[in-house]
Amino acid sequence: MRHRLDIDTFREIGDSLFRNKRRTILTGFGIFWGLFMLLFLVGGGQGLKQMLSMNFEGFATNTMVMISSNTSKPYKGMKEGRYWNMNTRDVQRLKALVPELDVVAPIVSMWSQTAYYQGNTAAPNVKGIAGDYHKIEEPILKYGRTISDADVEQVRKVCVLGKRIYNDLFPQGGNPCGEFIQVGSIFLQVIGVDVSSGNMNINGQSSDAVLVPYSLAAQLYHRGQNVDLICMSGKPGVKMSSLESRVRGIMAREHQFDPTDNLAMPLINTEQIFGIIDRLFRGVNFLIWLVGIGTLLAGAVGVSNIMMVTVRERTVEIGIRRAIGAVPRDILSQIIWESVALTLAAGSAGIVFSVLILNVVEALTKHQAVFQISFWTAIISALLLSVLGVLAGLAPALRAMKIKPVDAMRDE
Amino acid sequence: MLIELKGVHKTYDNGQPLHVLKGIDLEIEKGEFVSIMGASGSGKSTLLNILGILDNYDEGEYHLAGKLIKNLSERESATYRNEMIGFVFQSFNLIGFKTAVENVELPLFYQGVSRHRRHEAAMAYLEKMGLTDWASHYPNEMSGGQKQRVAIARALITHPEIILADEPTGALDSKTSVEVMDLLTRLNREDGVTIIVVTHESGVANCADKIVHIKDGLIEKIEDNRQHHSSVFGADTIMK
Repeated sequence: MRHRLDIDTFREIGDSLFRNKRRTILTGFGIFWGLFMLLFLVGGGQGLKQMLSMNFEGFATNTMVMISSNTSKPYKGMKEGRYWNMNTRDVQRLKALVPELDVVAPIVSMWSQTAYYQGNTAAPNVKGIAGDYHKIEEPILKYGRTISDADVEQVRKVCVLGKRIYNDLFPQGGNPCGEFIQVGSIFLQVIGVDVSSGNMNINGQSSDAVLVPYSLAAQLYHRGQNVDLICMSGKPGVKMSSLESRVRGIMAREHQFDPTDNLAMPLINTEQIFGIIDRLFRGVNFLIWLVGIGTLLAGAVGVSNIMMVTVRERTVEIGIRRAIGAVPRDILSQIIWESVALTLAAGSAGIVFSVLILNVVEALTKHQAVFQISFWTAIISALLLSVLGVLAGLAPALRAMKIKPVDAMRDE
Repeated sequence: MLIELKGVHKTYDNGQPLHVLKGIDLEIEKGEFVSIMGASGSGKSTLLNILGILDNYDEGEYHLAGKLIKNLSERESATYRNEMIGFVFQSFNLIGFKTAVENVELPLFYQGVSRHRRHEAAMAYLEKMGLTDWASHYPNEMSGGQKQRVAIARALITHPEIILADEPTGALDSKTSVEVMDLLTRLNREDGVTIIVVTHESGVANCADKIVHIKDGLIEKIEDNRQHHSSVFGADTIMK
């Protein structure tokens, strides 16, 4: 059997590609651009998704928040439009009746208070929380600790400052723990500073908050047993949406509203929010692949087209080769190799360029997210390119195979 | 008998049928130097294409070195061409982006001969043609005579049974023509290569020992020309 895969096989390919440099470059550009677009968009999409996800940093993804609101349906002889209140008994009740719940944490807030410390003022929202609230919205503590169960039980006059409040009250910096600040009419001892900056928060941004025990907030603002809202998160593996109707049933029975009256007790399920974002990015990804693959295919069609022209131009050369002993398969493989070489070279340039640009993007965003494509994405794209090269070369190669040796003489 | 043609017919069918060869019988022995002469349209190029396994024929039989050459697949005919026939064309048909030595190597490349060995062989043949210094030059840097000598080296490199030359001097001036024909004659005399030259120039045909005259698709006569008195270059002839 004749074997012909030696250096000269590749020199032949190089020769014919370099013979018309400008055309080769222009043809390759289609592939180059297609692959660059695809990988750049894939990397960019992934980076954007990560950057968006950072907004949910420190927030439990299976959290449900419920709020009391006016009823919208008449129930047991009571008219619609009646207002009801959640209270701390509901917290105990839910903990007892729904064992799948990990955390049931009430919040009692008071908006737009004024805080003072040594002539500095700030405008925080006072947010009364339970000892286990940190499991729902995780604080990033720069100093001290956060509110504990003991703080709640003993109604201690302590507080954790949000980042902006800390900066306003303590512009000189330093550890404020132990200091007393005035909020409204009372003095609270600072026990910690929370510098978390995630953008998903319950009842106001954490940077603008002064966190206190909810029992203290209830006392200060005369709420009695009532709370503003109750946050819940499930134990690992529990889907919050599956608990929704049970929670609603328990609350409806206790507060006497129609369990089918969704407006009486709006429930916000973060699982759904995350689901929406997930679907959004799946859609974006689909578009990315559609555009990327489309551009790439257009490039491949370009290669195929130019190879077709090349074959036509090289009729004599191919005829000579056939006359001196090239079998059709030699011609076929030569044209396909040329196509693969062109596609692969241009595509590799595209991979390198997109990696480069993604690196720049990553640097520009101060390395907040990973924009770079993975090594395997690059390898798979290279494989995909080879396949594309073969496909692009197929039609021209079949045409070249049909050239008869007599054509070499006829084409004079 | 190296070449044996029996009642070979060929009809081209482009729109209306054109009966080009109307029963050719021809025998050529090993080591002969034969020229095929005829006016244009006489069918001599078609005959050459059939002899060179570049084209099929419709009727009759063609034996080359004992093998029946008929209805071969593309693959078989390519292999036979590669192994048994060396071509020399009127327009040289060298590949322009390859150097002289690369052109000469090409048939061996398709035989799968290793790089080193085919380079050596190609250099040997170029030396024989007196072109050692031109080995790394491209065809467009060479004169017509040099190009044709490269083509002859390429034809010889596979040690073929026959060299088929189609108007080998057609694109050359008369001085170079004489040189090329002398070269072919010498190859025939000294190395015993069988050479078939197709031409319409009597001066070229006169170099051969046997002249086959073709007219209207039939062999008119076969002339014994061992005395080479038919007509020489420049003498009582209208060539060049």
